[in-house]
Amino acid sequence: MKGYINLQSLPAPSTLVDKFWQLAVINGSLWKHFFNSLYRLIIGYTLAAVIGTLTGALLAQNETLKTIFEPTFNILMSVPTIAWIPIFLITLGLGDKTVITAIFLSSYFSIMYNTMRGIEMVDKSIVRAARMMGLNRLELFFNVLLPASLVSIINGFRLAIGYAWRALVGGELLAALIVWGLGKMVYQARYFNDAAVMLVGLLVIGFTGFCLDQIFLITIEKNTVEKWGMSQKK
Amino acid sequence: MLFPAPTQTVIKLVNLFKKGLPVRSELITHILSTLKRLTLGFLLGVTSGILFGTMMGLSNLMYYFFNPFISILMPIPGIALAPLFIIWFGFGDPTIITLGALSTFFPIVYSTSAGIRSVDRQMIRAAQTMGANPLQIIYEVYIPWSAAYIFNGVKLGLARGWMTIIAVEFVAASNWGLGYMIWNATEYLQADTVYGGILVMILIFILLEKTLVSGLEQKTVAKWGMITQK
Repeated sequence: MKGYINLQSLPAPSTLVDKFWQLAVINGSLWKHFFNSLYRLIIGYTLAAVIGTLTGALLAQNETLKTIFEPTFNILMSVPTIAWIPIFLITLGLGDKTVITAIFLSSYFSIMYNTMRGIEMVDKSIVRAARMMGLNRLELFFNVLLPASLVSIINGFRLAIGYAWRALVGGELLAALIVWGLGKMVYQARYFNDAAVMLVGLLVIGFTGFCLDQIFLITIEKNTVEKWGMSQKK
Repeated sequence: MLFPAPTQTVIKLVNLFKKGLPVRSELITHILSTLKRLTLGFLLGVTSGILFGTMMGLSNLMYYFFNPFISILMPIPGIALAPLFIIWFGFGDPTIITLGALSTFFPIVYSTSAGIRSVDRQMIRAAQTMGANPLQIIYEVYIPWSAAYIFNGVKLGLARGWMTIIAVEFVAASNWGLGYMIWNATEYLQADTVYGGILVMILIFILLEKTLVSGLEQKTVAKWGMITQK
């Protein structure tokens, strides 16, 4: 039957379900793409989370370091991740290194910035009270500053995971030597004009991004709304 | 070679600007064709986003129907959609402009509907009591109230639209465009052109944000006292 819609380029939902079944259960290649992407995300993101929190905390504590580094960070922050990727492709090659560095860089700044701001925003009188009760710097950091700025830090993590996810997909798409990865799956399907595979890949990308965001959102709500006893939902 | 000195980058930019100058400068043509795409995509995204967001904010039914779709589609980066749109529209302007519009659209829909939904019921009832018709309520109550939210969305949308247009130009541009210039240089390992292109791209973005969005914001939202001025 001839319809108005070209089913080759805009497949029906039933075709998508069928394709998903084929890729996920019969063929299983979807999972290989998925876990390869996840592996890159976890490495890049964990690095960014650790280094970002540490440097953010350091910059918030030390005025001299802050005056030295803050202008540089402000400039680098305004560079979109996608612009870094061509530079990394030239300097780091066409493989995993580029993608992981892009993930790291895209999530690093928002984690660092939010940690810094969060620690700076802690009420000075609380800090003074803690000092008066004889806490040393390390105790002060772990018992007062970190809990008080936790919401801001997790907020930074949440922003960062969104950036990281986008950087991951974009990086995989552009880095030529990568074979497995969700972004690559979508891109490779172009050579076969296979819109169904693309749409399945895109939906998996969207759904995973949404889930990652929700994990952090729920953590934030647990740490703020429920803790402060304002548990009425909108 | 891979890490050119800043001076070399600037010299390269000047050379690109001079190239083919009597007729048309190469750099300027790249920039203009990207800006043309941005303008069309951004305007399309902003108008449709505000309209759709307002509808979603006003009607609960539409909100609960479309919200899941938007939550799923928003995390997909514009560049991942590029292969699909290349199948649909082919290489060149249609794909780039549509994707630019799409990535501008989502943040704006999201924040506009959130803004409209946050409007105080009392205000609407007060306006209704004073005899405003539904259209007047939209113009006089809903839009000004949620203007701060909408501007936030427009700012995000401009940033995402600009990034997406450059990124999609990497894979889908035919001849001209800043993204095409950067990508072409990447493939030939011309690091100085890559750095120069990225520099131009950031400068243009800062310029756009400072003049367009912040200027408009100063004239409206800040004047109405909806946000505190820094």
